[in-house]
Amino acid sequence: MKENRILLLSVCGVLVILAVLPHFLSSSMLMVFFLSFLWLVLAANYDILGGFLGYIHLAQGAFFGIGAYTATLLLNSPMIQTTGPFGLSLVSLIAIILSGLFAGIIAFPLFRLKGLYFAVTTLVLVFLLEALVVNLPDLTSGSYGAFVPRQYCKSTFTGYYLALLLAIISVGINYYLSHSERGLAFITIREDEEAAASIGLNVSRQKTIAYVLSSLPSAAAGIVFALNSGFIDPQIALGVERSLLPPLMAMLGGSGLVLGPVLGMIIIRAIDVVSFHYLHLPIPSMFFFGVVLMLVALFIPEGLLSSPWVRRASGALALKLRLRTEDAL
Amino acid sequence: MRLFFQLLIAGLSLGGVYALLSFSFSLIVSTTRILNIAHGVFFVWGAGVIAILSLHLKLPPLIALPILLLFFTGFGLLFYWGIVQVLLKKEPHHLLSGSVLATFGLALAMESALGTGWTSFIDPQPIFLLPVNLAPLELGGMDISSNRLIVLLLAGLFILGFHLLLKKTFFGRGARAMAQSMEGFLIIGLNPQRVAMLIIIVAILATILSGMLYILVIPIDAYAGLPLTLKAITIVVLAGVGSLPGTLAAGVLLGLAEVSASYFLGAIWSPVIGFSILFLVLLVRPTGLFGRVTI
Repeated sequence: MKENRILLLSVCGVLVILAVLPHFLSSSMLMVFFLSFLWLVLAANYDILGGFLGYIHLAQGAFFGIGAYTATLLLNSPMIQTTGPFGLSLVSLIAIILSGLFAGIIAFPLFRLKGLYFAVTTLVLVFLLEALVVNLPDLTSGSYGAFVPRQYCKSTFTGYYLALLLAIISVGINYYLSHSERGLAFITIREDEEAAASIGLNVSRQKTIAYVLSSLPSAAAGIVFALNSGFIDPQIALGVERSLLPPLMAMLGGSGLVLGPVLGMIIIRAIDVVSFHYLHLPIPSMFFFGVVLMLVALFIPEGLLSSPWVRRASGALALKLRLRTEDAL
Repeated sequence: MRLFFQLLIAGLSLGGVYALLSFSFSLIVSTTRILNIAHGVFFVWGAGVIAILSLHLKLPPLIALPILLLFFTGFGLLFYWGIVQVLLKKEPHHLLSGSVLATFGLALAMESALGTGWTSFIDPQPIFLLPVNLAPLELGGMDISSNRLIVLLLAGLFILGFHLLLKKTFFGRGARAMAQSMEGFLIIGLNPQRVAMLIIIVAILATILSGMLYILVIPIDAYAGLPLTLKAITIVVLAGVGSLPGTLAAGVLLGLAEVSASYFLGAIWSPVIGFSILFLVLLVRPTGLFGRVTI
């Protein structure tokens, strides 16, 4: 019980610090934190599929893009603009629901695939969506990108709190999954799908639930991003980076652990911000992320939090704070 | 009629290049079980390196080609030692996910290295093309691009060479044995590591040769690698792993589909065609690549 109290206290402490932090940050650091929270949302949502359900999902950015694009395009329609202050909430709700619907519908064909085919097909999905957005300029204004009307844009200060809220919700979902029957069902499917079906689990229903669950906060993150930046284009909203970094973060930290995506996000973002925003290293960031992904996949596929040397180094504490489902049950 | 023949030639030559790319991809999958996401990026690198050698260093083809092959043999060795060997030591379950993620990382790293290197040292536009302008061939009152015919011919020759290599040589028999049954392969007493290394090198060389053929007719973007890998996957899933005639047929089919799509719908829609085919094929045939192995 004692470890649990320490954990609870430290989580509360971190949250209090994060809540008052914007008052002390420069505007560029505020932006860094804002974007980091959005990345955390994507990484934690990815881990529902990648970590709990055991499906490598390379299209987390698709939900982000769908959320961002639906919201931006709807906000530009004159019908929404006449509805006044409710317009924004209405549009956000529509965008999130649409993304969830998309996930629910596409889950049926997607989850007939297993392992590699699932991963590859989700990658195709991202390319397909990006190509569609570029190729349908009448609807999406194509590769030029779309603007959010000025009156709906949010400051980074507001965005910080919205993104923080989404990040807390996303990590909270993963915490809930690691301590509930639902999460146990997902993990059973990860370990052995046929065995899961044989004990009476409705496997395809569980997978659809997982997919929809992982799409909703990601879509909301896309909306928050669009409202803050005021502009989105296919590369920003649907680029490969959006879909690649979440798996990288989750795997680096430790897939299937609640704190895994958090740790991975902090490491990746810290490296990203320091080396590319402050030091202006002359190498492209994608090069760097590609190399890191390769090394992680080859040498620490289980992630930092469960890799043997980290466990040995931090001893009993790490074991107790790992928040593994297996431990909780 | 004239249009039909021109589209046919264009589709066939594109399809031949695709078949070569896809067959080398499927050779790696069927023998080592590594799904090489970086395969399309190797193709683009082949195109980029030959463009540097012959356009910017102005080497004649007879010198540039051996350098190209040597460079990529070395690269293949590095790829084998650095990635394939590490992956092959993992359990089957981790091999699959590990191979996708590791080669995806490699693909992004190589792609951005080539793109950035090219834009900062050679040309602000990271696009490769080998401009060999031959006079079009007149055939029964029709103009047919000689470049495309040459590409078609060379692709056919390479594929034939590939076929003979697999059917007639000791190495080829070893590779086929490895694809059919690993246990049987081990019983014969061949060294699996050596055969796997040779397979990787042969497959990479075939890929970069197809990249070279491609830029004789169509300019290629430094960032076109991942979509090309997806095309290779499309073809291999359509054809079945390791089947050379099937790969040829599926490659030509995709080539024709893309050429007609870009003619009738506009060039921007041709990548969408490939992605949609893969999407549909995987949905219809969810067991995909490992369904059956015929090599």
